[in-house]
Amino acid sequence: MYEQNRKPNSSEKLNDLKALEQRLSTAKAKHHKSDEEHTTDGSTLGMAWRLSTELVVAVLVGAGLGFGLDKLFNTQPWILVVGLGFGFATGIRSVMRTAARMDAASAHIPIGEDIEEEDDENEDD
Amino acid sequence: MANDPMQQFKIEKIFDLPTIAGHDISFTNSSLWMALTALGVMIFFALTAKGKLIPGRMQSLGEISHEFIANMLKDTTGPEAIKFFPYIFSIFFFILFANLLGMNPYAFTSTSHLAVSVALALFTIGLVVVAGIVKNGLRWFKIFAPAGLPLPVYFLIVPIEIISFLSRPVTLSVRLFANMTAGHVMLKIFAIFIAYLMSSGGWKIFAAIVPIVGTTAIVALEFLVAGLQAFVFAILTCVYLNDVYHVDH
Repeated sequence: MYEQNRKPNSSEKLNDLKALEQRLSTAKAKHHKSDEEHTTDGSTLGMAWRLSTELVVAVLVGAGLGFGLDKLFNTQPWILVVGLGFGFATGIRSVMRTAARMDAASAHIPIGEDIEEEDDENEDD
Repeated sequence: MANDPMQQFKIEKIFDLPTIAGHDISFTNSSLWMALTALGVMIFFALTAKGKLIPGRMQSLGEISHEFIANMLKDTTGPEAIKFFPYIFSIFFFILFANLLGMNPYAFTSTSHLAVSVALALFTIGLVVVAGIVKNGLRWFKIFAPAGLPLPVYFLIVPIEIISFLSRPVTLSVRLFANMTAGHVMLKIFAIFIAYLMSSGGWKIFAAIVPIVGTTAIVALEFLVAGLQAFVFAILTCVYLNDVYHVDH
């Protein structure tokens, strides 16, 4: 649309710029809104998956650890029972913790934000 | 025509390789599709990383993906964790491309096998353990015993923290594998249903419209899940990397 070898006079240029700016800002506003809607949709599904798997897997890992230790010490089924209890406690605890963290971040998803420039030299400690 | 919805997950040898220490390392269809995934990621970034001052469409894609991962890492772990950017970036794009390639007909979804997703999860947890010990020394093990609690509570909290840590690789891998497997099985069952209805003749041919709509919807859902699982894997890797930097939490 804007060829480089065409030289418009200054007022024409200014008008063009203004029009372009307006179009850009409306496009940006539109894009931003749809972008946000989309990401919250996706991330709620992600949150649901995180919470549910955390709860289930913690119980399984606790039971698995108990089962293994039972085999090792030949004390079936006592450590399994204790491990199941600990696994359940872990599941609840990590779900609560994750939920609290999600609340704190209030589903802040870093899509479509400007990245701040940073110099890499200062980070090594 | 394959009637078994699980047949798509069958591992087939493409060519044999000599065994290493008794382990069969033959090149399988899974290996082929993982290699294609890696190749796909490389081609994508060869096309998008032109380094022009004014980015074109392809370069914008590359720059947006870089910004996306960098922001995610900074927001969840902190700016000091930007060292791990290459790892998060590669793991995100490997899973994303593996999932998306698996959506193609006749393709094999390598992430639908526990062996692959467990390997990816072990990389993540191994990285957290190694980086944590390198950075903090043995003090890193304090993540299992948070400071400032009365002594009896430690008998409860230490096993809980250990189970919680050990369940991380399991959650990571099971979530990825279960999502991909379940989605593909569902897709296949719906698709088989269409074939049965169409071939049974009579009025049932018109009933096939229901599973056709269903299959289309599931394909769309699966594309969402493919991206989402890659994102969840990457963001959880960032969350777990917190343990490298914040030992006393």
